[in-house]
Amino acid sequence: MSLLAVRRPPLGTVADVPTTQGSVHQGAEPDDIEVARRFVDGDEQALAWAYERWAAQVHGMAVRAFGPGPDAEDVTQQTFISAWTGRSRYRPDQGALPAWLVGVCRHKIADTWAKRERQRRSTEAATSEARSAPTAGPGSELAAEVADRVLLLGELNRIGQPQRSIIELAFFEDLTHAQIAARTGIPLGTVKSHIRRTLERLRDRLEVDGAALRS
Amino acid sequence: MQHCDPDELALAALGEQPPPECAAHLDDCAECEREVASLRRSVDVLAVPALATPRQAVAPPPQVWAAIAAATGVAVSPRPAEIEAGLSRGIPMPRPAQAETATAETVDPEPAGSTVLPFRSRSARGPAARWLPLAAAVLVGGLIGAGAVAATQDGAGGAVVAQAGLDPLPEQIASGTAEVRERSGVRELQVDLDVPALDGAYYEVWLLQADAQRMVPVGIVQQGATVLRLPDGIDLSAYPLVDVSVEPLDGDPTHSGVSVVRGALST
Ligand SMILES: [Zn+2]
Repeated sequence: MSLLAVRRPPLGTVADVPTTQGSVHQGAEPDDIEVARRFVDGDEQALAWAYERWAAQVHGMAVRAFGPGPDAEDVTQQTFISAWTGRSRYRPDQGALPAWLVGVCRHKIADTWAKRERQRRSTEAATSEARSAPTAGPGSELAAEVADRVLLLGELNRIGQPQRSIIELAFFEDLTHAQIAARTGIPLGTVKSHIRRTLERLRDRLEVDGAALRS
Repeated sequence: MQHCDPDELALAALGEQPPPECAAHLDDCAECEREVASLRRSVDVLAVPALATPRQAVAPPPQVWAAIAAATGVAVSPRPAEIEAGLSRGIPMPRPAQAETATAETVDPEPAGSTVLPFRSRSARGPAARWLPLAAAVLVGGLIGAGAVAATQDGAGGAVVAQAGLDPLPEQIASGTAEVRERSGVRELQVDLDVPALDGAYYEVWLLQADAQRMVPVGIVQQGATVLRLPDGIDLSAYPLVDVSVEPLDGDPTHSGVSVVRGALST
């Protein structure tokens, strides 16, 4: 099948492209699909292009979670490092590269919350030991939620399409099922039953491995 | 007592207003209420603003790239001017199979800064009508192949009300079967496919009228089994053909004109 031979034209062309060390710019910028293809192939220039195009969005997300500063910067750099070293896990047929980067960033944010929570608890444990107070304080509920978030983001990654995009539109874009159906062209009834099955699957995952019920 | 449709309970867990009957029922039914509460836990965990799709871009300071370059060993560098330009770029909405459809623009305007891909002209993928003359031939083949199928009761999935063998179209290496099952008024189409993997495209199943002039999209299907709910009220005798097409990731919601398998439902 030669479907890939037909590509949409680049969104914009840059007339004056300064050449970058170690790269060959040929006058026109590659489109996002081409950047994604080269990224998967391990072309270093594609990492720089991806950073040019999407680092500000990824960093915006990190700043929203942690405020400007070292934590946000760490999330952004970890997102791109993980995406690059784990590029073989990117599946173009499952979605666009920037959307995948945002998904990686979500994991890094959740991981950072979990790390902070562990630090907070170890500090608290040291303090409460001195006072011989019980360790299960008001923070344990937060700890469980932080752990469940890491667990469920991992489970989302295992959900196939179109189910995963449907639930992501509901969770992360706050769209109703009718808006999702309109946006995707997937029939309303199909959207509804996919949402139900996915929520059931996530519930099962929480019931088996969730921290909230065990704590 | 008639409980709420489980799908409606799932939507209620996402915060959508259930239909009036279900909403009234939920006020009195502890069982349905428990179901909503149990489904809501994952919503509470994941649907938080900090994880939502970014809206506000912030250019990272230079040390971020320096750390990435050090960790990955890449020798190239992003151009600072282009990172600034990235501030006005958007993250494309997640879309099933990247269906960047016309409705994305017409139904709900994209938030400012989001990427909306331009449409590609239909002619780019070849004459849409080229598969239409094939329909008649496949219809005959499908009817001969399918034979008479008695409705069988299947405890899990409901009663089988129609079946089709799916045969490859010329030059396609693919095969499959389709089954329509009905349970308490709801009909589902199960498609079992043996098809090649695609790159940059996906499979979609359609119900076609016998003359293949009109069609209803049922949903996206994959290698192996996929179960999809049929639109309520669709008359299968008016749409007797099951068709599986290859849809490029171009956001055009109409049939691509490239089908891999097709067969006629027999009841
Ligand atoms: Zn009930």
